[in-house]
Parts: sequence; C-alpha cells; structure tokens
Amino acid sequence: MKIVVCVKEVLDPDAVDNYVLVGKLEIGEDGKTLTQKAIPRLMNGYDEQAIECALKLRDAGIDCEIHVVAVASDPTKILQHAVAMGADEVAAIPVDTGTVDGYATASLLAGFVKSLGGADMVLCGRQASDGDQAVVPAFLGTMLEMPVVTIARAVEMVGGSTARVTRVTPDGDEIVEVPCPAVITISNEIGDPRYPTGLRTMKARKVKPRQVPPDSLDLGEGGGQPRVTMTRQSMASITGSCEFIQGGSPAATAQDLVKRLRDERVIE
Amino acid sequence: MSSSVVVCTWDQGRHGAPAGAEETLTLARALAASAGLELNWLVAGPVPDRVPEIAGKYGVVHLDRIEDPKLAEFRPDVCVEALAQYCKQQSPKLVLVPQTFDARLVAPCLAARTGAGVVMNALELAVEGATVKVTASAYGGDTRVVYELTGAESCVVGVLADMLFAEATEGGASAPVVRQVLVDLGAVEERVRVIQKAHFEGPRLEEAQVIVAGGMGLGTKENFQLIEALAEALGGMAAASRPAVENGFVDSSRQVGLTGKITRPALYVGAGISGASQHMVGCAAAKTIVAINKNPDAAIFRYARFGIVGDAMEILPEITKAVKGA
Repeated sequence: MKIVVCVKEVLDPDAVDNYVLVGKLEIGEDGKTLTQKAIPRLMNGYDEQAIECALKLRDAGIDCEIHVVAVASDPTKILQHAVAMGADEVAAIPVDTGTVDGYATASLLAGFVKSLGGADMVLCGRQASDGDQAVVPAFLGTMLEMPVVTIARAVEMVGGSTARVTRVTPDGDEIVEVPCPAVITISNEIGDPRYPTGLRTMKARKVKPRQVPPDSLDLGEGGGQPRVTMTRQSMASITGSCEFIQGGSPAATAQDLVKRLRDERVIE
Repeated sequence: MSSSVVVCTWDQGRHGAPAGAEETLTLARALAASAGLELNWLVAGPVPDRVPEIAGKYGVVHLDRIEDPKLAEFRPDVCVEALAQYCKQQSPKLVLVPQTFDARLVAPCLAARTGAGVVMNALELAVEGATVKVTASAYGGDTRVVYELTGAESCVVGVLADMLFAEATEGGASAPVVRQVLVDLGAVEERVRVIQKAHFEGPRLEEAQVIVAGGMGLGTKENFQLIEALAEALGGMAAASRPAVENGFVDSSRQVGLTGKITRPALYVGAGISGASQHMVGCAAAKTIVAINKNPDAAIFRYARFGIVGDAMEILPEITKAVKGA
C-alpha cells in the first residue's frame, strides 16, 4: 500500500505565542513575514501525527510504502525527521512558501502524487499551526478525485481497499468507511508521534531528500498560480484589564471574588 | 463582475436557526452595503423555522432554497455538489459560510470545485475597488492576517461566527423574495459511508452560560473534581484545556480551544490554565474571565477581568464554598 504523507514546515507556534504575549513579535518590512531568527522551524505537529498514523498502519501488519513530501524552500530537516520516524522515501518540492496559497500548494502536491503513479492513501495533518486554514486536503482530494475524510483519531484498513476512519466531531466520535484511494486528515487524538532513537536520527541526517522541481510536475490548468495572497500580518490585540484579587487567605480571596462577581451581576 | 454576496447554510442548527447564521449575515450585510453587492441567503435542504424571520431582520434580498431529498441530512459530497451548481448559476462574488465543523470541509471543497479562492477563520471582510480583502485569524489566534483575492473571480469565506456578534438592521424587517433554485443531484453519490453516527446528549459547552475549566496546573485527574464542584455550584459546565484532555482529566467533548469548542459564556473561570492562544481562542469571547494560576506572568491573566495568583487546589474549594454560602 502506497501512502503519501504531506508535511509542512512551520514556525514553532509556542514560541510565536510567547513573543505575542510579551508584545515582541517581529514582523518584517514586507508587513507579513515573521522574522525572529530565534523561533525554531519545525514540522507541523499534526503532520507529524499523520506520519505516526502511517506508521501505525504498518505496525498493524499492512505492507506500507511511506512517502513523505514537503513544499518549502529547504525542508531537509523536517524530512530527515520523517526518515528517522520511519518514512521510506522523502521528497522536497522547492518553492518559496511566501508565493503559494493552499490551492497552489495542493496543485504541487497533487502533481507529486500523480508523478508517483498515484497513491492508495494521502495523509495530511488536520491543519497547519501557522495559517490554521486547513484547505490543502480538500483541494488535494478534488484534484486527485479522491474522497476526503477529515479530523481522524484512528485509521484502519478493512477488507483490503477500504479505510475505516474514526473522526473526532463536536458530537463525539463518528465512524466512517471510505474506499481507497482517499485523502485523510489526522488530528492530535491519534496520540503522540513516536520519538526516533538517537541512532535513527543520526542515520537520517545523512539522507538527502529527493528534489522535485515544480516545473517537472503536472499542475493542471492554472495550477501553480495562487488564488489568494497574504498581504499583511499583525499581532492580535489582547484586550484584558486584569484586576488581581489578593491579600488574605484563600477563603478571604474567594469571598472577595464572589462578592465582586455578584456586584457586577456576573453571577447571582 | 458578479454582484452578489451569498451566505450559505445547510444545517438545522438549534433553536430554529443554522449555527452562526446571524453573525455571518451581519458581516455579509455590512459588506454588501459598502460594496454595492446584493445580499442573498442560500439554504440547502430543509429550512429551519426561524430562517425567514432572520432573513428579514438582516435585509436579505433573496432567500434562495434548494430542495432535494438527498439534502434531508447533511452529507458532504451532495452538499458540495448542490452549492457548486448554485454558484455556477448565480456567480456570486463572495460565498460566506458560518464556520461550523462541517463547513471546514465544505468550504474548501466548494472552492476547489468552482475555481474560487478560499479563506477560513475570517473575522473581517472588505471590498476595495476590485480587491477583496479578508482578515483572518492565524497562529491559533496570535496573529491576524489579511488575504487578498488575486487569482480568482470569487472567494469562499469561512466566517468565525463564534467570535463575532450579531446585529440586525436598524430599519426593521423587510420581506425577502423566496426563490427556488433548481439543481440536479441525481448523479452524485456519497463516497464516504457513515458506519456509526456521532451521538451527543446533554448540555453543550457552546451554549453554557458559565464554564469552569481546568488545565495541567491541577496536576491530577482527581483534582478535576474541584472544577466539577465549582461548575455545579455555579450552575455551569466543567471544561478543560487540550493537555488536560490528553491526560485523561475529562473527555474531549469538554475541550475548549482551537481544536475543541469555541465558547462564549457570560463567565469563564480558568484554573491551572496558562492561557496559550490555542486555548484562549476558545474562550476569549467570554464576557467575564476569571483566572487562577500560580504564575503571575501566566498569559491567561492578560485576557482576564479578575485574577487570583495562587494554588487552584486551595482556592477552588473556597470559591465553591463562597458561592454556596449565599
């Protein structure tokens, strides 16, 4: 079974969060790019979990060929991490990510899947922790004419070419069956991604991802061109004016709080 | 150039109105007025009771309906097909959908089908000349980004209705013209088969007026009882941050945040929660936030109205007592 996992390189969202909280996030002269060198670049967490999902299918005894692909100017590090986790093949589509949107990214990824002669399953993280857009999988499914199943906590194969997927919905778990090939997006509920051993990590550092030039891919009609362009980025403003209730014992503080909440008619 | 903005809904919602419809109509109406676009509302499938009344309140010109037995219950392939055929007939400039769980899938699929651009997590919209600008939340609420429609004629926009407010027209209600839109769904087959439906009973976090939430600062699952006790005393619901859910303090239906529930209660008490943006996006719209944390620099205090620096395990039972002591 051929599985393609699509991964994205993102800025560490926790580091971004910390800079925003102290009001010190730096945005470049272009008005949109986060420029702090101190913010690490990582594989998007949900994408790591998508790799974990593929590895779990292999653990379940399914003969899997796991390809991991990234669209970025130099995703070598995250792809080496994918190898350390257990990916068989890794490929980089070198593109300046500032020039593509979800549609253009999906065109590249769809072209890549076609260049492999198709795939039985395409796995993506449920969303990227930078843009939070979660639109690539839907475009990808439409372009590859595959059904899309989102936000999975478990994926298993039943009867050869059907995937049984447990989705995390606001109303609890939903179980669906989808004929493969299919695009499936993975949520954090699938569990922590495995942590590669030091030896595997060392070995993976020697791996050079296959470079796949965008112009070598079939991008379909209008494929490479973005439909939307990010033009600005700014810190969200946080509008709190916290009044600290302090002094005295926990009991006195609690009584003070409850009194304040009653005075302001927040509670009865 | 096409000249309409259409709000699309297909869910029954609760209380007779599709989820997020009024907030999305508020945004759509302002946009339609400023850009000279016609405001329409497409309801695919059965029309919830309050739709005609709401359409009037928000100045909807055409209330478009697609009726088909295949739309009786939401299924993504059928829904996308119906919306795509509608867009082909009507060529709206902007298609706005309240960003529900299902809309997260439908909106980009629709854009993929119709050749439109797509922006999710939208909070603001503007049309300036020929340019469409969409302001969206990114980095789990930490940043705001502006997208411009550059390579397509139309744009599908997922609206973060849970973080916006609804405001009806001042001029009073008007009567929208109802149009039946004909589409052919004969050929579409649902590719994904539901084996077991999600089933949820009981009160919903999204509708709770009081929420008491706990995080990793509680230390253990046992201590989560302190959260539940205060929630009960306040007549509210208990909730948790994602790490607390992942550590089994409570099940995922109680998770607040980017990948959990977006809530907007009158009172949100967060105890032992540091306040990462991915959590706060799920409660920042609360009217009053009370934060309890050992760390005076915890991010949650920046969102809070009242803060207590201290040990949640000591303070929570005292608040419960004080509430009950009334």
